[in-house]
This record gives sequence, C-alpha cells and structure tokens, in this order.
Amino acid sequence: MSSTRPAVFSVAMLAVVGLLSSCGGGTGSAAGAKAADGKPVYGGTLTYLEHQPPTCLYLPAAGFYPNGGVLNQITDKLTWQNPETLKIEPWIATKWQVNDDATEYTFHLRDGVTFSDGSPLDAAAVAANFDVYGKGDEKLKLPPAEFVNNYERSEVVDQKTVKFFFDKPSPGFLQGTSVIGAGLVSKKTIGLPYEEQCQLKNVIGSGPFTLAKQIVDKEIDLQARKDYNWAPPSSKHQGRAYLDLIKIIVTPEDNVRVGALTSGQADYVRYVQAYDEQTVKGAGFTVKAEPTRGVNNGLYLRPGNSILKDVKVRKALQKGTNAKEVVDTLFTENYPQATSVLSHLAQGYVDLSKELVYDLDGANKLLDEAGWTRGADGTREKGGVKLQLGVFVAGPQPLSKQTLELVAQQWGKLGIKLEIRPADAGTMAVDIKDAEKTAVSHSMVGRADQDVIKSQFHSKNRDVILSTDKKLDTLLEEQSALADVGRRNAKVGEIQRYLIEQGYAIPLFEEPQVYGVAPYVQGVAFEAVARPSFYSVWLNK
Amino acid sequence: MRVGQALLVLWAAFTAAYILLQAMPGDSILIKFQNPELGLSPQQIAEIRAYYDAGGYLHTVLGFLRGDFGYSVDTGTPVLERLAEGLPETAKLATAAFVLAVLLAVLIAFAASHSSRLRGVLLAVPSLFISVPAFWLGILLIQVFSFRLGLVPVIGGSEIQQLILPVLTLAVPISAPIAQVLARSLDQVFTQPFVPVVAAKGASRSWILWRHVARNALPPTLTVAGLTFGELIAGSVVTETVFGRNGVGRLTEQAVNAQDTPVLLAVVVLAATVFVLVNLLVDLVFPVLDPRLAR
Repeated sequence: MSSTRPAVFSVAMLAVVGLLSSCGGGTGSAAGAKAADGKPVYGGTLTYLEHQPPTCLYLPAAGFYPNGGVLNQITDKLTWQNPETLKIEPWIATKWQVNDDATEYTFHLRDGVTFSDGSPLDAAAVAANFDVYGKGDEKLKLPPAEFVNNYERSEVVDQKTVKFFFDKPSPGFLQGTSVIGAGLVSKKTIGLPYEEQCQLKNVIGSGPFTLAKQIVDKEIDLQARKDYNWAPPSSKHQGRAYLDLIKIIVTPEDNVRVGALTSGQADYVRYVQAYDEQTVKGAGFTVKAEPTRGVNNGLYLRPGNSILKDVKVRKALQKGTNAKEVVDTLFTENYPQATSVLSHLAQGYVDLSKELVYDLDGANKLLDEAGWTRGADGTREKGGVKLQLGVFVAGPQPLSKQTLELVAQQWGKLGIKLEIRPADAGTMAVDIKDAEKTAVSHSMVGRADQDVIKSQFHSKNRDVILSTDKKLDTLLEEQSALADVGRRNAKVGEIQRYLIEQGYAIPLFEEPQVYGVAPYVQGVAFEAVARPSFYSVWLNK
Repeated sequence: MRVGQALLVLWAAFTAAYILLQAMPGDSILIKFQNPELGLSPQQIAEIRAYYDAGGYLHTVLGFLRGDFGYSVDTGTPVLERLAEGLPETAKLATAAFVLAVLLAVLIAFAASHSSRLRGVLLAVPSLFISVPAFWLGILLIQVFSFRLGLVPVIGGSEIQQLILPVLTLAVPISAPIAQVLARSLDQVFTQPFVPVVAAKGASRSWILWRHVARNALPPTLTVAGLTFGELIAGSVVTETVFGRNGVGRLTEQAVNAQDTPVLLAVVVLAATVFVLVNLLVDLVFPVLDPRLAR
C-alpha cells in the first residue's frame, strides 16, 4: 500500500494551499531598515522589476517608460534638468550661449568624457547625434525626435565646441537637450540603421552603467562603469555609481511585482497600481509617486468625428464628466484631480478648474440644444443616428479600462453610449487614426517643457485629437517659436484655455509614475519626468 | 504513408495560420511604427512596409523549406535566433511538467484502484485539477510558496528553483486527463475474465495490478498522454507569461500581441512538428505494448 501515501499527501497539500490562500493580509517582515543617516556604501546588486519589456531603444523612442528606465542609466545628456527647479544645468556641456531669437546655440563640452567603447564624446559625436535627432535620416530609416523643432544644421567649431542652427526660433531646444530621448550615443551607434539602433546591445552611451547581460524580453543586467567621472556638477555624488549591478527583470504580473517586493525578492519595482499602494505601505515599504509634469491623463475628443464636430456635444461631454469621482473611486491621493490640460507642475500651467466644474444639467441642456433627443432606450438620437462613441483602452495608462467604464456610466446619465474596446494591437493600429471609429482618445504625455502641449496636439506630432483645427496648429507653432519665457508661458496658457473652450480636452488627473521601494534603498532619484536614475542609489543593508 | 500524412498536417497548419494572420486587421509594421512618438507619416510607414515585405505565400513556404524563417518584425532579429533562445527553456519546462504529470496521474489512478475507502475522493481529484485555470494556479503557487512561505524565490534563484513552481503549474492540469483515462482503463481491465483466473492461481491484488492489469491499461493512456502534448504547448504560453520565463510560450504571446507573422508561422510549424512526432512515436510504441496490434 505504499503508493497511497503520496496521493494522500498531494490531497492534503491542496487543502493546505486552499487554507493558506484564504487567509490573506499577513504582513511581510519589513527587512530591518534604518533611517537614511548612514554614509553611502559602494557595491551590491539592485533588483528592479519592470512592468513591460523595453521595445525599440532608438533614443528618440525612449519616452516609453521601460525604455527610459534603461537608457537613463547608460546615456548622459548635454544638459541636466533639475527636477526640483526645472532649471537647465550643465552636464556634458559645461556652458552654452543662445542668440537673442533662439536660432543659434553654442555648447562647450566637458573634457575627457568617453563612451563605453572608448571613443571620445566630442563635438563631432554630439553634432552627429543631433543631426539625426533634428532631421532624422531617410537612408537609415531614422525618424526625427519630437523634442527638436525647426532644426537646420550643426557646426563643429572645434573639438570641444559645437554649434546648432535653426531656421526658426527654437526656444525649447535647450530643455530638449536634457530630455530622456536626447541621450548621447557614440558616433558608431548613431550611424546604424533604425533596426540596429533599436537593439540594446548596439546602444553605446557614456552613462554611469553599461550593459553586462541581456536576455531579450526577460532580464537586463547593467554594471557600473568604473571610470565614470562626469555626473552633472550639481550632483552631490561624483565618480562611479554606488551600485555594482542592476538587475532589471521584466515581471508583467502586477501582484507578482508587489509580492516580490514585500517578500524581499526585489528591491525596487515600477508601476504599483493604485489599489496595491496600501499593501506596499502596510509592509513598511515606500511608495514613490513621481509627477510627470506634462499633458494630463484625460479624454481627448476628435473634431473630425461626425458627432463630435459639434462643439456643443464636446462641451457637454466635458461638463458631464466627473473627474473627481474617477479619482476618488479608482485612485489615491497620488493622482491629483486635473485643474487644466497641463499638470500644475508643468511650465506655463494655468488653473482652469472653474471651467472644469461637473455640471450634469448644463451638459444635458447643451445636448438638447444640439438636437440630440433621448430615444426609447435612453440613448440620445438625432436623425436616426445614436449618440454612440468609440474609445480604446489605453495600455500604458493606469487602470484605463476601469476609468473608461466609470466615465461610460457618467455619460450614460447624459444618454451617451461609450463603446469601450480592448486594446488589441492590430485593430487599434488601424482604427486609432480613424476619428469615426475612435472618437475619443485616452492618453497623456510627460515632458517638462512648454513644448509638451505641442507634442500632444499638433497635427504633425502625436495628434491625439486628429486635429482639423488650423488655429490650434498655429497657436502651437507660435508657442514653440517664442524666445521669451514670459511670453511663451502666456501663449501656453492661451492654448490651454482654447483646448478647454473648444471642448477638445476632458482632463481627468495628473498622472504620476508610481514606484515601490524597499526601505534600505537609499539615494532614490528621478529625472524630470519620473524615470528612475540609479546613479546615486545605494543599499543600506 | 505515415510520413506523408505528417507532412500534410504540417502544410495544413502552416497554410491555415498564414491565411488567418493575413485576415486579421492591421499588421505588425503598423503596430510597431504607429508609436506616436516616432511621428511617422503613413507614406513613411508604407516605405518601411515595402522594405519588410516578405514576398507572399510561395516565397514564405520556400523559405521555410530551406530553413529560412525570416526576421521578427517586432525585434528585428532572425526568427531562428529567437526560437533557439526560447526552445531549450520551454523544452525543460514541458518535459519536467510532463514527467511530473504522468507521475501524478499514475499515483492518483493506482491509489484509487487500490484503496476503496479513498476511491471517491481520489477520482474527484482529476476533475478538480482540470478545472483549475493555469493562470490562477500559477499566481496562487507564487503567493503561497514564494511570498508567504518563502520556500522558492520567483525572482532570481537557481535554474532548478526557477523551474519548480512553473512545472507544478503546468503539470497539474495535464495530469488530469491522463489520470482519468488510466483509472478508467484499470477498472475496465479488472473486469476482464483473465483477472479471476490469475487470482484463482493465488496472485495477490497488487501483483495482478502491477503485472497484468497495468500493462493492458496502458495503450489508451498513452494515446491521451500523446494528445496532452498539445495542451503542454498551450499551457506553456500562460505559465511562461505568469512566471516571466522567456520560452517559446512567452515568445508566442508577444508575437500574437504584435502580430509578428514570421514568428507566429515558425511557432505554428514548430508546435505542429512536435505534435506530429509525438503522436507518431505513440503509434510506434503501441505494437510493443500490445503484440496483437503488430499483426
């Protein structure tokens, strides 16, 4: 009868599993942490869990957070944007001059900086980088970068001096040299075709870490570069990074990331969902919600749609959307309710909360005026057409599906049907550019410069509303070419007002990037748009 | 004859996959390059498409025959390279899971056949196993054995440690049909006239079970075991995704999301080949187990 025992055991084990799983909530022992008063120590490995695998690592495509999380460690930028003050400070460029109408920029480079392949980071390398970021390269299939506007050409003045010329004023360029996508790569890398620049192993930067090992779509190990000695001068920490190794492990499951953190298997995780924040805090870990300082998470209405071409309908949707309810129901205090198109930390922000008051009666009145009357099933109709709009669940936005479902309920009270479609990549790629099928876009974009609003709305950039509005394009271009900061900010204010007035935007909340960090991880820092910087991180274990 | 059938199955699988992938809306190039940050115009995307154009069905078939699977549109790497990376991982996972599943099945079926007291409970186990979704089971095992009890790490850990929970996750649902069929055939064989004859000669029940009944109950079980290979492949998609293993299953999941046609075609052909081979093997083993079939 020897064979019965293992079978009985397996049944018993199942029972145990069932029992254990039913008693949740046990607090993991928060790994014995001390306050941050110790002196930084060198060495150690940081395990960082990423939500999605990086895609193409061509620098201008670095905005995708999994890409930025890697590229921010292996590349340096010409300038450093202080995330506290948003001021542009020296980094690889020690100083710079800009002419009065912002059409000529001269950068003086730091001495002795090398890429990890040993080649020098000199004026020629910088010029080669920005020639591609500014104009793209047809032959190599490299598209230009959205953070460089009006670029004409570069000029290598001498080995340490590079000059850029613009055919129209380009006041956003200085900040553009500090963004994640403006990371500098070796001349060899920038001369590769798109497909090859997409692959991490070909991206040679001058940053504090270099690639040690990559298992595609699973793990990326970055090791500290021992001879790194060119951190931004304002950084307290200089010299090589504290950590020896960073293991970036792709862990798509939300509860596995959070569980691995609280059980001590990982030190640092990206993308903690709002409903998991309490679990992380309860276990004695830190939740870091970093602002993204750009265009808010919101619903963007497309005037090219046959129903939404009527401004009254767009305004009705805006008035009939209760952003406060969305935030209170689904999110936490780390997701502040939006008060304008831009985040309150964005440059040129104006407070438009008075224009964004939830007003159900007002919304219904506007729809009545626009000639949409309620049909038998409660949905409004006009000339036999139902008031029905389509939207895709936005994969990168937190709890997009739940957000849209809640908004659909709110719009249901107005007699509007919101058809929420899952983000099946193929259908989405075809239909997202069709205002008739996809009347509404759920999106946001982060960048700490006035130009962020142009990135989102200009018909030649992301163009989330599939703009048919010439005036909007003109306003965005004017903003982009204003050299004076005060006048530029005023123009950005005017654009925000215009977007709200025209009912193109229904801002919901200021989207943060939310990280979970173990208490012994010290020196946690972020660039201006919330990508982690591991340079000053050390382990107080 | 058998080989001809096998080739026909492979060709049919390839062609069906090819037609279905063509019929889906959008394509991998559009998915990859519509990234708004890149700001490509439709015209530029058309140029890129021309560059990637695989050259139609015949071209693709001929490529496959030569062993040239083309390039993944999503990552730009040769498909063969991606398969070569993923295949050993999946092979380890699937083989270990299959062995464990068979062990579990044999334990359950034999124990049920032995013990009349626990029989009812034991025969309910396969139904339980098969109704457990692999996705849920994987998460549950991680939560309990890794996060609460700290027995096995899911992040880092040695290769063996990284295999334990995924193997269990994959084995449980696969063991169910094997156990069910084995238990039923054991029962059936026990009712055959030769059993009382052997018993009358003084053989104990366990002697009969091991020496006579088990052998006769094996062929149907083997057929089912061969068929579960299909489930192993399907199960590895879910298991590898939950555990973040980069095998063929995860590759498939990503390729489906990106509609990466060259990768998907290669995966389909690979899966079909394995399936065909395993079933061919089962057919070849039959006559060895049951000499009557050889005649």
